[in-house]
Amino acid sequence: MQYVFSGLTAGSTYALVALGFTIIYNASHIINFAQGEFLMIGGLGSVMLMQYGLPMPLAIIGAIVLAVAAGILVEKLAIERAGTNDIVPLIIITIGASLFLRGGAQFFWGKSIHALPPFTGNTPIHIAGATILPQSLWVLGIGAVVVCLLAWFFKRTLTGKAMLAVSHNPNAARLVGINPRFILMLSFALAAGLGAVAGAVAAPITLTAYDVGVMLGLKGFVAAVLGGLGSPLGAVAGGLLLGIMEAFTAGYISSEYKDAVPFVIVLLVLFFMPSGLFGSRATERV
Amino acid sequence: MGMLQKLRTPRMGLVVVALILAGAPLLFTNSYQYDVAIHVLINAMVAVGLNLLMGYAGQISLGHAGFFGLGAYVTAVLSANYGWPIYLSIPAALVVVGVLAFAIARPILRLSGHYLAMATLGLGILVSIVLRTEAGITGGPDGMMAPPLSIAGTPVYDERYWYALIAVLLLVTVWLALNLIDSPVGRALRAVHGSEVAAEVVGVHTLGYKVLIFVVSAVLAALAGVLTAHYAGFVTPDLANFIYSIEFVTMVVLGGTASIYGALVGALILTLLPQFLTGVDELEMMILGLILMVVVIFMPKGLVPTLGRLMPGGRR
Amino acid sequence: MSAILECQQLTKSFGGVDAVADLSFSIERGHIHSIIGPNGAGKTTLINLLTGIYTPTTGKILLAGDNTRGLAPYKLAKRGLGRTFQNLQVCMNMSAIENVMVGRHLRLNRRFLSALLHLKSVRAGDRDCRKRAAELMRFTGLENQIDAHPSEMSYGALKRLEIARALAAEPELLFLDEPAAGLNANETHAIGALIREVAVRGVTVVLVEHDMKLVMEVSDNVLVLNYGRKLAEGTPKSVQNDPEVVSAYLGGA
Repeated sequence: MQYVFSGLTAGSTYALVALGFTIIYNASHIINFAQGEFLMIGGLGSVMLMQYGLPMPLAIIGAIVLAVAAGILVEKLAIERAGTNDIVPLIIITIGASLFLRGGAQFFWGKSIHALPPFTGNTPIHIAGATILPQSLWVLGIGAVVVCLLAWFFKRTLTGKAMLAVSHNPNAARLVGINPRFILMLSFALAAGLGAVAGAVAAPITLTAYDVGVMLGLKGFVAAVLGGLGSPLGAVAGGLLLGIMEAFTAGYISSEYKDAVPFVIVLLVLFFMPSGLFGSRATERV
Repeated sequence: MGMLQKLRTPRMGLVVVALILAGAPLLFTNSYQYDVAIHVLINAMVAVGLNLLMGYAGQISLGHAGFFGLGAYVTAVLSANYGWPIYLSIPAALVVVGVLAFAIARPILRLSGHYLAMATLGLGILVSIVLRTEAGITGGPDGMMAPPLSIAGTPVYDERYWYALIAVLLLVTVWLALNLIDSPVGRALRAVHGSEVAAEVVGVHTLGYKVLIFVVSAVLAALAGVLTAHYAGFVTPDLANFIYSIEFVTMVVLGGTASIYGALVGALILTLLPQFLTGVDELEMMILGLILMVVVIFMPKGLVPTLGRLMPGGRR
Repeated sequence: MSAILECQQLTKSFGGVDAVADLSFSIERGHIHSIIGPNGAGKTTLINLLTGIYTPTTGKILLAGDNTRGLAPYKLAKRGLGRTFQNLQVCMNMSAIENVMVGRHLRLNRRFLSALLHLKSVRAGDRDCRKRAAELMRFTGLENQIDAHPSEMSYGALKRLEIARALAAEPELLFLDEPAAGLNANETHAIGALIREVAVRGVTVVLVEHDMKLVMEVSDNVLVLNYGRKLAEGTPKSVQNDPEVVSAYLGGA
């Protein structure tokens, strides 16, 4: 049971990262390798802003704003400028962006590991024979709230529906007056915000440093692929599933190989089930 | 062909490179510079292989450091732990990496684009995790020692001999790569990049060619790893770190994705970069990221082909 | 007359839709065949089936008597099959003549080691290949573009380039997927002349086309598809006058 809790906690972070990937992928078919860095900005940024004297809630909001700004900048200065739809160059650009953001964090904020104070204290809660940190409940709770908000956004608001339209058929969307460039920028902003929220909420548990983005981003991508690239439901499911599988591996097999789990999974999924759990198969027209 | 045209053929470039490689040591004043030069050459070897895979065949690999590290470790483990002579452990390392690459190539290369990038990334990271974790065999995160190369019983420590050896190997590699490109195999590879379906219908077994070039580039990376192991005398799991995979990709992208000489230039610049950034090495990562973005956006073909176009008479 | 290609009850379903259903016909050696039909009739699916890009759901395709089921396009190429594409598949990362040289792939020394070592046989083979490619480009009217790059060539020229590339393989059976699409009347007429020249060289040509004038001008035999099924088959004249064909195109006049 303990494993389920820790798995779900880590999993909901992965799920939020995966959602970020999915949003950008749906708007543009780009895989944003810099996604993990938005998380890092959320977590490390909050710590740094608190060090400058801001109270925690404001620091977190500030960090989120910072991440969103970074996301918009990446989209405007790098992705739009590239003017290409070729996958390999775009992958390399987002890798470059990720290096740039990470290097920037290293330069401005240093290399040390930091902890954000937990939101409601550190006394473990006992449920069903296992212990769970209050912060984990925050992670799960905020994760769930965010997912619900997103679902409402996509289904009920005009902008959200516009984003869905662009992901299905950019040309048709253009014809009805939707501006794909704006949607793309919005999707980066949204993904960055999501990442930052996830990073800030998880930071009290997982600690944060300039390079947490790497692994988190990769694992989030694995979660997105596992659930099916392009499917928000898949992203959430994939994230939670990945977290649980990691936790169980750490518990029952070997804690040293815990980090290998996502990569074994991604290889298995890509070889045997490339469209993931909920994704759709793509066909090429000749 | 006119005299000037003859001078501009790809193979003349080989002569130029050979001259540079032979002449450079005249400028070296201490063994540290030799060391840096050797790292340039080693990286260049990986870059050439990766260039063939990415630039000519149009695939992508974000995990090549895995092959590099694996090659280094296999030869280190065999020669240090099991007492194999180096002239056996080196070929064994190449064979092991070659076989692994071949085994993984077929399923991996059915993927393309993001999926291929992700799969190769995953593979590279798995290799580095295994190297770090199996401390019993590999010495764990701190690495292990590897015996140096011995000729006629005497170990080779002198950087000058290593420089000469690796320079020759690199020249041979470049020559082979140039030959390959200028052949039916090379054209088939480029056709796979240009239009897979068009290549298929004229009889090119696209998957087969992708596998071929994947294995070749993996073995080249392993060769570079093997040389590193015996030159430096020790290996660490960091050799397979995914940041190096990214660096190798940067070398190829920066120098020129479909240009063997570009790969050399890319390796040169990126290996020397930290040297120029001492004192501001916190900026190194930012600069690396910036280079990647700027090159892909403004010079998508890379340095060498773009500059080649700007020169009189240069085309393509 | 021997049939070089024969289809028996060929069916291809995508999900619940039969793109091609229960199709049987044969293609005679040395003739120029055309496959026509209104949009959505299944022509592209058929050509993809015949060239190995799709696998049949049921039914047989016999190439010179042998079942081709499951054979990949590159294997079919070894058996003398060639094709061009409706949406051009030209390699933009090579020069025009190199594109044509790729077509000759199967006839060249493809051994890896020989290529690495730049052996004389490889070099001589490449020289010969280049000469033949240039000749083919002249044959298809591209003599001025031999050293050009595809990015500088017109749409019509690129279509001819694809034909030159397909011919470089010396196919016995050549599929042309909408060779006249996007061409004006003059260019279409020129393509028709080219197709006839190709047939004279001994290649059996199968044309998938929309341009009726071209089809009627060059074909010996026409197959009409509608909703994935054979609607009519015969000489151009007989098909032209077939009332079912007319109504399929005009929607029940």
